[in-house]
Parts: sequence; structure tokens; C-alpha cells
Amino acid sequence: MPTIEFGGKSFTVDEDGFIDDYTNWSEEWVQFVKKEEGIDELNDEHKKVVSVLREYYEKNGIAPMVRVLSKVTGFKLKHIYELFPSGPGKGACKMAGLPKPTGCV
Amino acid sequence: MAFISSGYNPDKPMENRITDIGPQKYDKFYPPVIAKNKGKWLYHEIIKPGVLVHVAESGDEVYTVRCGGARLMTVTHIREICEIADKYCGGYVRWTTRNNVEFMVDDKAKCDALIKDLEGRKFDGGSFKLPIGGTGAGVTNIIHTQGWIHCHTPATDASGPVKATLDELFSDFQNHRLPAQLRVSLACCLNMCGAVHCSDIAILGYHRKPPLLDHEYLDKMCEIPLAIAACPTAAVKPSKVTVGDKEVKSVAVNEDRCMFCGNCYTMCPSMPLADQEGDGIVLMVGGKVSNRISMPKFSKVVVAFIPNEPPRWGTTTATIKRIVEAYAAGANKYERLGDWAERIGWERFFDKCELEFTHHLIDDFRDPAYYTWRQSTQFKF
Repeated sequence: MPTIEFGGKSFTVDEDGFIDDYTNWSEEWVQFVKKEEGIDELNDEHKKVVSVLREYYEKNGIAPMVRVLSKVTGFKLKHIYELFPSGPGKGACKMAGLPKPTGCV
Repeated sequence: MAFISSGYNPDKPMENRITDIGPQKYDKFYPPVIAKNKGKWLYHEIIKPGVLVHVAESGDEVYTVRCGGARLMTVTHIREICEIADKYCGGYVRWTTRNNVEFMVDDKAKCDALIKDLEGRKFDGGSFKLPIGGTGAGVTNIIHTQGWIHCHTPATDASGPVKATLDELFSDFQNHRLPAQLRVSLACCLNMCGAVHCSDIAILGYHRKPPLLDHEYLDKMCEIPLAIAACPTAAVKPSKVTVGDKEVKSVAVNEDRCMFCGNCYTMCPSMPLADQEGDGIVLMVGGKVSNRISMPKFSKVVVAFIPNEPPRWGTTTATIKRIVEAYAAGANKYERLGDWAERIGWERFFDKCELEFTHHLIDDFRDPAYYTWRQSTQFKF
């Protein structure tokens, strides 16, 4: 798997740019994904989505369903797409350091 | 090749972005005769295998020539189809729901010239580029999936067995000798993308070994509760495993409960189960989707396992041929394969098709399995 150097840290990622291990996540990773995903400015709403995702994953071992994410953050799906143009899976989960979504995607 | 930009600016990905425009409207691509007579068709006839004529209230006729397509096509091949359409059909062409190609013309003379041209086109290897057929009581194209071309969960290939099977059944693609149409489908794993669960004959990729567990990466790559919930027989449970000197979260698979569906691998990349000797093909028969005479039916498993035999899958194609011949000889007119098997009884079906009945074919999945057993003294020796 390729290794990425960013902000003085190195991350191992897969071919889709997801981090290899949830525990290797750090603030630099968020900045790296911000650049990769073409997000101009990280605001509190981005941070809220990321923290909700990480809390949910730590507690339950899975990423939340889209409706759960919407309900907990209070952001409609449309707004989540405005925050993360690639969507909750490829954008927000990647930034939160969660494993790559699986199944017939 | 060096990079050539389409005009997209990766620094401003959302700028000038066009979205939610949907597909092009279908009537933009209607041949004029179709546009004119839409909703006003009186009747149709099959002139000969692969050639239809539809007659409208106005007296207009449209001749359709249906050609087999390999589904997996190069742009070169599509361009050749376009070239034919330009030459004979005013640039119009359509694809059917079974991935055949249909050329439409509005008079008989053009139709004959088109047929003559199509029959002459062959690949360098000798196969027909666009064989005419696929109508009426014959075998039409095989609905199939990705296989080893592109998918990561297959237990068999798709394009390969489809080519081998259609070579074997080619005369039925170009003829109407069967009692009713015979639909053949293929899916390369039990996800059953496509139509295998409702086809007269279905070819299905099947595993015979439980998944391997990559404990070191499992918790990092997978959402463990999803892998557990993916299992239809509850063979997967969470567990802690020591790898090297570290205790990691992982799963344990109860191999006595595993029936090798591969659902857990779909959800969790650390549970691969493909195996060269273990994987193979299951044959199912008797499904249909139409409501004609009898209700739609699911296809039923009649051959529990045939090994993968690339590149020609000899045993699979020979078995299919045997089933088709027995059906052609035994069934009444208009009887689909499932109707025939249900009329003569499945014990007779196995007899006529010279298939071995094994315990694998007896349903044992949950309560509904009971309804597939025989609660009657009605049977034939």
C-alpha cells in the first residue's frame, strides 16, 4: 500500500485513498483529505460530521446509516453533500478515518 | 499518453458542474417510422428467425432485424454497428433487454440488403459479428454478469461460459424448433445479478470452501458488525485473536454452519473465499417471469456442482445441451421448461435429462424448506 507524507506525518493508504487503520487518524489526515476532496474551508459543520462519525464508529464498530448521520448532526443529506462533495461515504468517512465502505457500492 | 484536460478544473471541482440531468429522452432517438406510429401498432409477425415486421394502423411497416451481441463490446464494434445503422437505417439502432442489437428499416428491399450484409460480417477468428436470430421459440442471448473480467466476488467467469454455451446452442438461436422460448442466464456468484433466479436455464457460480480470515487486517479494513450481520446462517461471530504479540478484534467462522455464500466477503475484504478447485457452477432450471398460462416461477437447482473448466466449460455446456434436448423432445407446444418439469413431475425430469439427484438439491434453508418436500403419496417410480 502506498505511503503519503503530509504535514510532517506519514499515512499508509489504499488505492482509493482511505487510511489503513482507524487509529492512525490525526488532525493532519483531516487537512490532507480536505485537499484531496477539494474542500475550500473546513468549518465547524465539517468538524461536527467528522466527530459524529468517529464517535459512532468507536461506540458501534460501524459507520452510521445516512439517516442516522442526518438525524444526529441535524444536517440534511443535501447539506452533507454541500459540505463533502463526494458524499458521506467517500468524503466524510474518508476524512474521519473510517474503513472504506463495502458491499455493492 | 500525456494528460489532456477536458476543461475540468481540479482546483475548483464544483465550478461549472452539471448534475442531475438524467438520461437523454428516449424519443429523441426514434426512427421516423416509429415516432410517427407510436401507440398505433396493429399486429406483428415473425417473418423468419431474427426478423420481425410490425404493421401500423396507417399501413406503415417496420422491419426489425435482431442480431446477437456479445454484450461486452469494444468501441470499434459499436462503431461498426453505427456504420451499419448509417448505411441502412438512417443512423438508428436499438439494444434489447437481453443485449441483442436491433436494426429497423421501413421496407422489405432494404431489409433484405441489410440481412445479406449482416450475414457476411465475421471476426478474424471466424465467429459471426452480428448473427441474426433470437426471436420466437428459440434460445436468445444469455443475460450475464462480470465474472473474471471485472468483479471481485465471482466463483466463475461470465463471458467465457456464455460464449461456450451459445456456441453449443447456436442453432437454436437461429431456429424456432423449441416448444416455447428458452431463456438462459448466468451469474458468477450467488448475488445473482441479472435473471438467474427466474430463467428457464440458469448457470450460477458457486463456492465450496469457507472464507479465509486475515486476522491482522480484519478490524482495520472491516466494520465487524456488518460482516456478522451479512451471514444468512449466523456462522460469523466476533472474537479476539492474538496475532504476533498483539490481541486484535476479529471474527470467527463456524465452518459447520457456513454454506459459502460469500456475503461476508462482500462486506469485509479480509474474508476472501475464492478457490480454484473449490469453485464451480450450479445449474438451475424452470424459472420464468411472464404470466402466460402459469404464474412466474423461480428456477430450481438441479445440478449441485460442475467444476470450472476454462476456457470451454465442457461439462457445463454438455449438461445444458442434454436438458435442452430432453425439453425439446418432451414438452408440449407453448410449454416453458418449468411448466414441462412440473407437469411430468420432477422425478421424471431428472430421469429424462439423465441428471443425478443428490442430497444437495433438497432444500434445508429455514422454515420454507418444508414446503419443498413432498407431503403426498403422489409420485412415479
